[in-house]
Amino acid sequence: MTLDQSRRAFLKRSAALGIAGAATPFVLNLAGIGEAAAATATDYKALVCIFLFGGNDYANTLTPYDTTSYNAYQSLRPNIAYARTDLSATALNPATPLAGGLQYALAPALAPLLATFDAGKLAVMLNVGTLVQPTTKAQYLAKSVKLPPKLFSHNDQQSFWQASSPEGASSGWGGRMGDLFQSGNGTATLTCINASGNAVFLTGKTAIQYSITSTGPIALNSNSATLFGSSAANTALRTLIAAPRTEILENELTRVTKRSLDTFTQVTTALAAGPTITTAFPTGNSLADQLKIVARMISVGQELGAKRQVFFVSLGGFDTHENLVATHPPLLAKVAGAMKAFYDATVELGVADRVTAFTASDFGRTLVNNSTGSDHGWGSMHFVLGGAVKGKKFYGTPPAIANNGPDDVGQGRLVPTTGVDQYAATLASWFGVSDANLSTVLPYIGNYGPASRNLGFV
Amino acid sequence: MQSDDDGTLVLTHDPAPPPASNAFPTALGVGAAALALAACGGDSTPAAPPVAPPPVIVPTVKITPTQAGRFLAQSTMGATAADIVSVQTLGFDGWLTDQFNTARKIAHWDWMVGAGYNVVANINSETGYDPSVWRQLIGGTDQLRQRVGMALLDYIVVGISGLTSNWKQFTAAAFLDVLMDNAFGNYRTLLDQVTTNAGMGLFLTYLGNVKANPTTGSVPDENYARELMQLFTLGLYQINTDGSLMMSGGAPIETYTQDDVSGLARVWTGWTLDSTDSTTPDRYRRPMVNIAANHETGTKVFLKTTIPANTSGVDSKKLALDAIFAHPNIAPFVSKQLIQRLVTSNPSPAYIGRVAAVFADNGSGVRGDLKAVVRAVLLDTEARDDAAATASTTSGKLREPIVRLTGWARAYAATSATDAWAIGDTSSSSTRLAQSPGRSQSVFSWFRPGYTPPNSAIATAGLVAPEFQLTSEPTVVAYINYMQSLIVSGAGDFKADYTAITAKAADSQALLDDINLSLAANQLSAATIAQIKTAVDSIASSTPAGLANRVYTAILLVLASPEYLVLK
Repeated sequence: MTLDQSRRAFLKRSAALGIAGAATPFVLNLAGIGEAAAATATDYKALVCIFLFGGNDYANTLTPYDTTSYNAYQSLRPNIAYARTDLSATALNPATPLAGGLQYALAPALAPLLATFDAGKLAVMLNVGTLVQPTTKAQYLAKSVKLPPKLFSHNDQQSFWQASSPEGASSGWGGRMGDLFQSGNGTATLTCINASGNAVFLTGKTAIQYSITSTGPIALNSNSATLFGSSAANTALRTLIAAPRTEILENELTRVTKRSLDTFTQVTTALAAGPTITTAFPTGNSLADQLKIVARMISVGQELGAKRQVFFVSLGGFDTHENLVATHPPLLAKVAGAMKAFYDATVELGVADRVTAFTASDFGRTLVNNSTGSDHGWGSMHFVLGGAVKGKKFYGTPPAIANNGPDDVGQGRLVPTTGVDQYAATLASWFGVSDANLSTVLPYIGNYGPASRNLGFV
Repeated sequence: MQSDDDGTLVLTHDPAPPPASNAFPTALGVGAAALALAACGGDSTPAAPPVAPPPVIVPTVKITPTQAGRFLAQSTMGATAADIVSVQTLGFDGWLTDQFNTARKIAHWDWMVGAGYNVVANINSETGYDPSVWRQLIGGTDQLRQRVGMALLDYIVVGISGLTSNWKQFTAAAFLDVLMDNAFGNYRTLLDQVTTNAGMGLFLTYLGNVKANPTTGSVPDENYARELMQLFTLGLYQINTDGSLMMSGGAPIETYTQDDVSGLARVWTGWTLDSTDSTTPDRYRRPMVNIAANHETGTKVFLKTTIPANTSGVDSKKLALDAIFAHPNIAPFVSKQLIQRLVTSNPSPAYIGRVAAVFADNGSGVRGDLKAVVRAVLLDTEARDDAAATASTTSGKLREPIVRLTGWARAYAATSATDAWAIGDTSSSSTRLAQSPGRSQSVFSWFRPGYTPPNSAIATAGLVAPEFQLTSEPTVVAYINYMQSLIVSGAGDFKADYTAITAKAADSQALLDDINLSLAANQLSAATIAQIKTAVDSIASSTPAGLANRVYTAILLVLASPEYLVLK
């Protein structure tokens, strides 16, 4: 993109904000823009959040494998534990072994990711979760530190993961990164892109989230020039549904509709002219469908003038209170198949080192089983994938495998030893967020020492 | 005072004179009288059913078609011309009484059995559920019950695809029947039947849940304990009777802790189906039973309640639900949910407080009387003040997509000659409504009551707009595309009948005036009507095809217009 194009896009956006922000002083909008303009980028990078809705069961995702650890794991969840022999093929061999002979294995269904780990493109983040500040078990029990509100509650912890605030949050850290970078993108609307509906993660203070389906944008009336045979009727429809309104609910509706109509041609044209991705994505896998459209959008990022984009995809069903043995492995198989194909597609497109994907979830679950499943927990294990990732490695602190041990608040609900803010700050720094801007994106990052704000996995 | 249509207000004296401060005296007059009348509480568990006194209220106001249309947009799945006349004739309160007395024609379960959906070939399918649900939503004469039942299903959720049973369609139908059967009953009874419903047991995974096992260390599944309190009854934070947060030291006060969840989870152990026979769906209709050997025998402590050791599962259930039902949060919590589902996204605290007071006591000492609550929601001055609502730039709610479809279908007598009702699953966000009755994937439903579109003027104004959680670039377009297809072609033999409206199609103003009332309670402005009229007038009326296209255009543009989509 030329400077001129950028500048034109910026000016156009300022004007649009001036109109849309009727309830906000114009000066404030300018301030927002000014701040956003501070972050500039010349290359292309994308971050992809893979959210596992329902609270992924960490212990049957990354399973303790050395004999001592495995036995502890098995004794705490005998009803739902993997057999140790089933884990031998997916035991992980990090470049530097963990202390004390500790070993982990991927769940068998995650086997497609093994080669990616071995190739150094997949890193494992241990015991990460929602925190306001570094927190020990003793501090939790003494209630002597601020804690994320409504721990163990799905919607609130989903929100806190994405936004550092419980349900009702108005912006998320993906969107707040978008705030910083959207002015450098040719089309600001295409900064934060959701292939999975609606998530606070991608909403900024000024950046909006643009929603796209797995097949691309949806055409109104097949993009026909006429409606019921009449071009006047077609024009009337398009005018009626997209014009500004004074009633604020109506106006929000037409604002979204206008965005949908305005971007349809631009995105559809770009996608049609984009490269054909030959990497095979698994079928019957909605996460793979979403990651494929993300890969396609990345493939035309340059054409659309994008420098920085944040994406959100998701898979549901992880609230495995029961029948975990039957329901969890197929979900992990979907995750692994989709992530592997996505990584391969970024290699094919030649952008692997510019795209970093990471997993997130409501919370971890209990290590102790109920009759056939596990219940809501707190800290969990997550994966970071991409060409820039310093993989074949574990980051963070391995939690004690125990019920009411040093690292859990009962039933194996882990007190996170790494905060989501640290995980996010590491990704944000790679993305190009300056140290000075980190607190704009992550309001609690100041509670962590400067040296612990970048975990170094990417 | 609003003046529209014939503009005449006929005020008569009423046994409960309105307070002087009320800006809309007639509505509150009716509402206050309704309070006094609320003894018709019916089938409540905690108190003996009082005898319903004869209706004493006569309509005190000549209700205009516009007023009736708006009322019906809040209280039904869509207004028909006959419904509008009925409300005008009976009055708001009289119409409610008439609806309260309208029995369900048939349960979903029984209709599905009658239609033969219980053949063994269907054991592993969902076949039959969607047709039955659409059939009652669109064709049922018990429209208030259908609407209130759907409001309950919006936050007391069982989604068919989340069921891990066979006979999913019957399991989901039995749950919906519980909501529909209890829509005018007592909330305590509703809670009991929801709790023992097999579909809920499956959806929230406590069917088959067993007591803690000290040997293996396994503990009870906490799913139902948490969501029952968070989503169906109490919410996360302690609230005042007007729905506002109670504060302590500047922070909200949690309703319950993780210990309360773990304690209550012990109650939901031992529950299971009452038969192992899966050759018929019948066991999914019967309430779950409790297996003593699987039920927790220790004490169960939650919400400052202690259930003693060795209390049976059935008795523990009663004590637990009694404790939840007695919690002060439940009245404002349920009241706000129902107001948001039926009337407005942002009720005033006073409105919530008035309805919550009725939930707490229907006037005859009965708590949880849903008839009285529904009456209070719909007859409140804030619900009935048409002038204030239409003048406001922040009132009302986004019509949820299901209600848009049923509203069109009812206005134009859409029906299915073979009873196939082939509308199906409408939850696709790229080709359909992004919402489908009984098909939420999650217990958090389609939208959350506190949802605000981020980065919007709605957020800046400090308001919520729950239904906007479904509003995105794909869904706004998919909805219009889908309705375009339905308007013209229907689905299978499910088709509208445009005979009456086509008779007006040559006169575009008359056509649009009719549609504006039928679909939009006359809430489309003259400017919007003029825009649509230009479109209609661009199509020649000289041929039957032209007349049809004029009707299609007019209906689609009304259904697509923001003034319709946001119900004031």
